[in-house]
Amino acid sequence: MRAAAHVGRAGIATGDVEASSVARDAIRAATLGVAVAAFLLFVGYPLCWLVLGAVGLPAEFSPHSLVRAFTRPENLGALVNTALLAVGVGLLGVVLGVPVAWATARTDLPLRNVFHALVGLAYILPPYLTSVAYIILLGPNAGYLNRAIASMGIHGSPIDIFSAAGVTFVIAMHVYAIPYFLTYGALQSVDPSLEESARMLGARRWTMLRRITLPLVAPAITGGALLAAINSMALFGPQAFLGLPAQIVYLPTRIYGALGGYPPRFADASALSIVLVLVTVIGLSVQRRYLGRRSFVTVGGRGARPARHALGALRWPLALVFLVVVASSSIAPLAVLVAAAFSKVWTEPLTPDNLTLSNFVAALADNQIAARGVVNSFELAIAAATLAVTIGLAIAYLDLRSQLRGRRLLDYLAILPLGLPGTVLAVALLQAFVRFPVPIYGTIWILLIAYVARSMPIAVRGANAAVRQVDVSLEEAARVAGASWLTTIRRILWPIARSNLMLAWLLVFIPALGELSATILLYTNGTETISVAIFRLSDLGQLEVVAALSTVLIVVILLATLLTQWLAAGGQRTTSDATSI
Amino acid sequence: MKRTMRSHSYRRRTFLGRIGAAMGATSGLARKLAPMYALAAGATTSARAAAATTGADVTKAKSEGNVMLYTSLDTKIVDAIIKPFQEQYGIKVQYYRGGSADVSSKVLAEAAARRIQADIVDASDVGAFLAMKRLGILKPYDSPAAKDVAADLRDPDNMWVADRLTQAVMQWNTKLVGSAPPQHWKDLSDPRFAGKLAFFSSTNGDGGPRLYTLALAFGWELLESYAANKPLRVATPQLVSQLLESGERAAAFCTNDNIAWRSKKLGKPTDYGFPSEGVPTELGAVGLLKDAQHPNAAMLFYDWWMGETGQKLLVDGGKYSSRSDLAPPSGNPPLKNLKLLVLDYAKYQAQRPQLLERLTRIFGGEWGA
Repeated sequence: MRAAAHVGRAGIATGDVEASSVARDAIRAATLGVAVAAFLLFVGYPLCWLVLGAVGLPAEFSPHSLVRAFTRPENLGALVNTALLAVGVGLLGVVLGVPVAWATARTDLPLRNVFHALVGLAYILPPYLTSVAYIILLGPNAGYLNRAIASMGIHGSPIDIFSAAGVTFVIAMHVYAIPYFLTYGALQSVDPSLEESARMLGARRWTMLRRITLPLVAPAITGGALLAAINSMALFGPQAFLGLPAQIVYLPTRIYGALGGYPPRFADASALSIVLVLVTVIGLSVQRRYLGRRSFVTVGGRGARPARHALGALRWPLALVFLVVVASSSIAPLAVLVAAAFSKVWTEPLTPDNLTLSNFVAALADNQIAARGVVNSFELAIAAATLAVTIGLAIAYLDLRSQLRGRRLLDYLAILPLGLPGTVLAVALLQAFVRFPVPIYGTIWILLIAYVARSMPIAVRGANAAVRQVDVSLEEAARVAGASWLTTIRRILWPIARSNLMLAWLLVFIPALGELSATILLYTNGTETISVAIFRLSDLGQLEVVAALSTVLIVVILLATLLTQWLAAGGQRTTSDATSI
Repeated sequence: MKRTMRSHSYRRRTFLGRIGAAMGATSGLARKLAPMYALAAGATTSARAAAATTGADVTKAKSEGNVMLYTSLDTKIVDAIIKPFQEQYGIKVQYYRGGSADVSSKVLAEAAARRIQADIVDASDVGAFLAMKRLGILKPYDSPAAKDVAADLRDPDNMWVADRLTQAVMQWNTKLVGSAPPQHWKDLSDPRFAGKLAFFSSTNGDGGPRLYTLALAFGWELLESYAANKPLRVATPQLVSQLLESGERAAAFCTNDNIAWRSKKLGKPTDYGFPSEGVPTELGAVGLLKDAQHPNAAMLFYDWWMGETGQKLLVDGGKYSSRSDLAPPSGNPPLKNLKLLVLDYAKYQAQRPQLLERLTRIFGGEWGA
């Protein structure tokens, strides 16, 4: 491993240190090596099978599907729809997420913690459930809003959620949390001395925001917009729930169509996914070029938080505007689902006559798959998040701290799963692991691999952001002082990067708990997840039971989130002394 | 469709005959075997009548302890059928439930990987059973419990037997259509249903066969007039019911009779009708897997599924049984009173890509073409 060759750039060493550095290099090389090997097996190997599948292998070699993927008018239409969706969601995500992030991170906005929690809630809600909720809220004829508008004498269903705009809106209401959290994190890490200097030099608030703060957090904003945009292209749930009824087709829907029938058209699906992968790579290189022009080290090892701006008279009006945005993305869909969960008939108002607990009994006691699903989803999400963040940390570390050739390639590879709808990743995994010597196909392990592979982009980006926060000089100082590699990781990297790593863990854990699109093709009897149970019941039109199960899922996720935050906060206190070795 | 039906109807006069003709046309071999099959069936009739209600070795089945069912039937019906079976034999029935296309593609994927996990498969998709038979993954079984299924509703080689028939009906919200509910397919072409129609098909075009049947019988213009009303399209008939119950849409074409039946039975504000000019019909079928891990338990359960108890529970759930000795679901007309439009599956399979492309042109959206 070449990584091992480059250790301790500050190699001003005595004989003793040199002797121990051999062992230290071995540990480092082995740790990173195992992580990279796991990553290549989980992402690289299935991707190879996807490419082979696109050219018709292993049956026969033929460029037919690949050519068709780029030439058929139906595919072109789907590509245009998908690109418009991505751009729309990216822009809308920034418009919705960044102002709220700035307000909660850097101003004296009231209810900041509430806003922060509600954005988290919006991201927690599985997007297929948000879609169902928005059909109830904004359905053209039966939706609450249109019925209210009609009751005022305006007819013709002015708001139609079954449209391209509806899909963009509902997905943006889910993924704006990504630019929000990344921007929020970056804003909190901004070195206050920079702003203080600007202020002392006489800069006004807006000038400072425009010239100092925004450029400092620009990588987080563009990174967030890009992640939101790419994420939107792969979110099959809303595209299916809201796009398909209106006959609007996106690339994932076309891929799903190619796979759903028999015989499944693996070659067509693989070829279409390669189109998605290409779009992803283009997006990523744009972001890299943009990021390359700036320096992002914003933390110099000091824990000081920047001062909050006083909003003055704008405090409450701004809070109200943000509350509408944030509540529409979280409370509103959640309330609709919870109301349905306690209703005998979800279309009727929640009167005492209509109240019932039987949906929860049906969901948890009568339905074996649902009960098993809760357990499976939990185990899978915890294992996947831990594994993904560990691998992500190794890749980020290699990218930022080593001169290893190919480390950039690892980083590119890690972002690719974002361009793979879960369905396609599942097909890649199926093709890859059906022929694998160890029995993984048809077991719970293939789900774990799918979850880890799917979450690599977020895990690697998150770990990357975390490692970037740590100035390399701190680690070099520790090494000069004789600390081993593991000690340096534990005492320097971990304390500074921990909150970002915890965030990355959560950002993997939460979607994994509700993952549907890959699971649906990979699960088998005994390995059902909560999302499978929800999907199957939803297919059967049992919306009240679906809502009950969704409520349980959301409550569980909320508890897990609070627990993690509590742990993170507790850890912060006990190890804060350790940051100064 | 009229022309197609006429060309077949000279052979058999009943509606079942037409289905059988469509089946038979799927392979020249089947047609050649048909007379032989008829002879064999005649010879074994008395023996079958005398046999027990199962052809399985019950002791062996019990020692296997488990059976794995893949089904596209509504879970409420599946649960109802399984419960007394488990109580009687102490054999645990595990099941995977998905849409017809999900069930079929899962079995075919497992077969391709040579890791069959299903013991017994049930799906409302005869095309898939023809494919499974062609691949040689089914096990022939001449079940004594299936003797009340007309010979026309089974595979001549006993690889599968029909267990249920699903009719494509019109369904509507009683509050929204008021005193003039639609009676004929063409009624839904009326501009008063603009923005108020619904239908279903998943992205792999599983709604295609019935729409094709309708188009052959009454012309493609009918579908084009539906498309002009901008119908909302969802993935399953259950979701169509949901749209109608909530008042999101006023009426639906080609939804499943049993789902419409249940919605009405549960007291939802919906009703449904079988247009007198003819309703498309789809067969569900059941078969055993050759590489089943619990072969005896699978046979025993197959006999239970097709037996009187199992099929009666199916009817109680709103399905028409394939057994000629069972009554229709409560409140529904007997099949002989309906004009059933039967699809020539072989013809459909052969033209499937072009037909799905035609549906894409008419309705837009994704049809798996």
